[in-house]
Amino acid sequence: MAEKNYYTIDPQGKLTCVKCGVPLVKGKAKFLYLDNGFPVELPVCPVCGFVYVPEELALGKVASVERALEDK
Amino acid sequence: MSQIQERGSTHVYKVNKISKEEMESMVARCVYEHPPFCSAACPLKLDARAFLEAAAAGNFRKALQLYEKIAPFPLVLSAGCEAPCEGKCRLSEIGDAVAIREVESAVARCGEASKLGGIFRSKKRKSTAVLGSGLFALFLAGELEKKAYPVTVFCEQDSHESWLRVCAPFLGDEAFAAELKRLKGKDIQFEFNCTLDAVFYGEKRASFDVLCASDEVRAHLFPESNPVPELMFCEAEKFVTGKTDGVLGAAFGAKKAALTVDRLAQNLDPRNTRGQEGTVESQLYTDLSEAKQLSRVPMTGEGFTREEAIEEAGRCIQCHCEECMKSCAYLKHYKKHPGLLSKEIYNNTQIIMGDHQLNKPMNSCSLCGQCTVVCPNGFDMARVCHLARQNMVSTDKMPLAPHEFALLDMLFSNNEAFLARPQPGFETCKYVFFPGCQASAIAPETVKAAYLDLCERLEGGVALMLGCCGAIGDWAGRYEMQEQTKKFLMQELSKLGNPIVIAGCPTCRKELSELERTETVGIWDILLKLGLPKGGHALERPAAMHDSCGARGDAQTQAAIRELAERLGCELVDTPYSGDRSPCCGYGGLASFANREVAAEMTEKCLERSDAPYISYCMACRDRFARQGRESRHILELVYGTDAGAPPDISEKRYNRLTLKNGLLHELWGEEAKEMKLDYDLIFTDAARQMMDERMILVEDVIAVIEGFRQNGEAIEDEDGLLVARRRVGNATFWVKFSRTENGFLVLRAWSHRMRIEKREG
Repeated sequence: MAEKNYYTIDPQGKLTCVKCGVPLVKGKAKFLYLDNGFPVELPVCPVCGFVYVPEELALGKVASVERALEDK
Repeated sequence: MSQIQERGSTHVYKVNKISKEEMESMVARCVYEHPPFCSAACPLKLDARAFLEAAAAGNFRKALQLYEKIAPFPLVLSAGCEAPCEGKCRLSEIGDAVAIREVESAVARCGEASKLGGIFRSKKRKSTAVLGSGLFALFLAGELEKKAYPVTVFCEQDSHESWLRVCAPFLGDEAFAAELKRLKGKDIQFEFNCTLDAVFYGEKRASFDVLCASDEVRAHLFPESNPVPELMFCEAEKFVTGKTDGVLGAAFGAKKAALTVDRLAQNLDPRNTRGQEGTVESQLYTDLSEAKQLSRVPMTGEGFTREEAIEEAGRCIQCHCEECMKSCAYLKHYKKHPGLLSKEIYNNTQIIMGDHQLNKPMNSCSLCGQCTVVCPNGFDMARVCHLARQNMVSTDKMPLAPHEFALLDMLFSNNEAFLARPQPGFETCKYVFFPGCQASAIAPETVKAAYLDLCERLEGGVALMLGCCGAIGDWAGRYEMQEQTKKFLMQELSKLGNPIVIAGCPTCRKELSELERTETVGIWDILLKLGLPKGGHALERPAAMHDSCGARGDAQTQAAIRELAERLGCELVDTPYSGDRSPCCGYGGLASFANREVAAEMTEKCLERSDAPYISYCMACRDRFARQGRESRHILELVYGTDAGAPPDISEKRYNRLTLKNGLLHELWGEEAKEMKLDYDLIFTDAARQMMDERMILVEDVIAVIEGFRQNGEAIEDEDGLLVARRRVGNATFWVKFSRTENGFLVLRAWSHRMRIEKREG
């Protein structure tokens, strides 16, 4: 089921927002590309709203969705 | 920092038709799908190539299945066929034609008969009758049975044996016995001992939907009738019949007659929708150079034994035209002949809604034009792909992602890294040296040496122009960007007094020669005239000359480069596919940006021609070969005794261009350029640098992220205490993982994505 959510968020909350000094939480975000939008859940800073896109997500699912949209 | 507008939306519904006629005429040049000459000469359309392939593999069951498609009685046909196929066999031009008829005969004798047919097959409703005997009647009865018509033969003979004996009197005993068994096994009804006269005809006529007869019966019943030979049909009498000649003639007549029966059974005009009947013309090209066994296999008995037939069938060279696919890594990769691939690419451009699945193949061609040279008919895949790219751009369907890096690089070359200056001491110049963007990026020292040499030895002043000729925009199909580049270069050339362009790269020369009022010459031609400068040297080992695709069709340039190499004392080894037939290194057409895998295969294809070091006269070729670990030198490196060394990564290529420009500005024109200096340390691990090169992330992208972090402090810290910051630059978001050092930062990883990301409310 993890596949559907793009990314399984580490439940331990090991990521910290440097600016706000608070742990990132599972939060609502959206990807936007070529006039298309997708709601996703990603690690987000609850204070400043910094959304984190981990490397494996960027190179994996995000890249493949980009390719698919580019060929639309 | 330049930026290119990303395509706005996937919801753009615009189609710009490429002329279908033009595309069809281009596609028609590919003869891959033309039949081999043996099949083209067979009026029954035997797939002789596949038949011989199966026979050569010893698969007589399959071979017989193929043969039975055209011959309901294979031993009868093979015993008497005139075999026009053999006359057209290409091997007959250099030796003996394959003895196709004898192989057919052996297959018919030894092959296991197909189990298809029989009484359990569902039958058509319309009934047919065949009156009389003879080869035509025999074949027609077989054809109609194959088409699943209930068929009844009315004959004067008293048994199957006597009827078959009259039909095929030439059969030997064994063949006769086999064909009799086959005849009895077919679902054909017989009425023997009939008197085929007008009374009989009158009685039977109403009982059958379609009546057929031998020509003798027709002449007896309707002496005045005149069957149409193309249809094997007497229209007035509604009678399927006709005169035939020979065994093959009878078989072909029966094929035509069976098609007429088909049409009549459906109450349709027998003239229409008959398709292509009989022999056809083929323009298939066949490479005869690999034909080995030119003499026919000797026969020990009356016909081939099974083993002899296998050996004889194995002599078939399986005529296929794959000239382009042999030489082009791109076509080989997609395993499609260019006619088919072009059709699919054309269709890709015409899709309004849905997936453009051919975008990647369309963008993977190096546009090098090799196929046009090696194709016997001059098929131009480059034109197909180039037109398709332009069309996709014009309909706003072209993704920017595959080409953006290269296009930004072109803008960088013609902005930050651009330089146009007359030779110090001149206001306008007779010449301008245009080394090309890749030369400045890969071998800046060589560019500098060449420029200083030209200034010293040419009269009338030599200006310098460092920039991109516009080929990148052209290759990407971005015709507007290419036009802007041309306009810009023309303005700059005009400021220098429209000098003669001395191009350092054959592709630049080609592109710049298209500019109005611009005369171009290759630096190689100038060097031949001036003589070699001091300091040049040859390679110590014999080397292979790789011809640039930019010089395809330019014999003068190819010869000039070889002359230069020889004057330097280089020993050149011959390679296959040289000169106009040279493959692309993988840089051309931006193939390496759109499809790294295919581009690597292109490079490999170039390098497999020789184990020797490579000399080239395009810096991109030099770079790609060196990246593959091959000793690789540009001819100008040898001329000027410089060595550009290990290939630079993408960031170094930019840095080299800027450094060359700023260095020359300082040394020759006394101008100081503003250099961006960081007031902190920025160190990259080797792994980070390699990762950035693979992911097309520049040092300046990383600097942008770090600068952003320094300004706004936005980053996250992971469980290992490492920092991750991000910044949107142009159409991509770059992420950098780093740690702090005493005086700055250590970059450990970098990645990017094109999607924008936002926090979502609700």
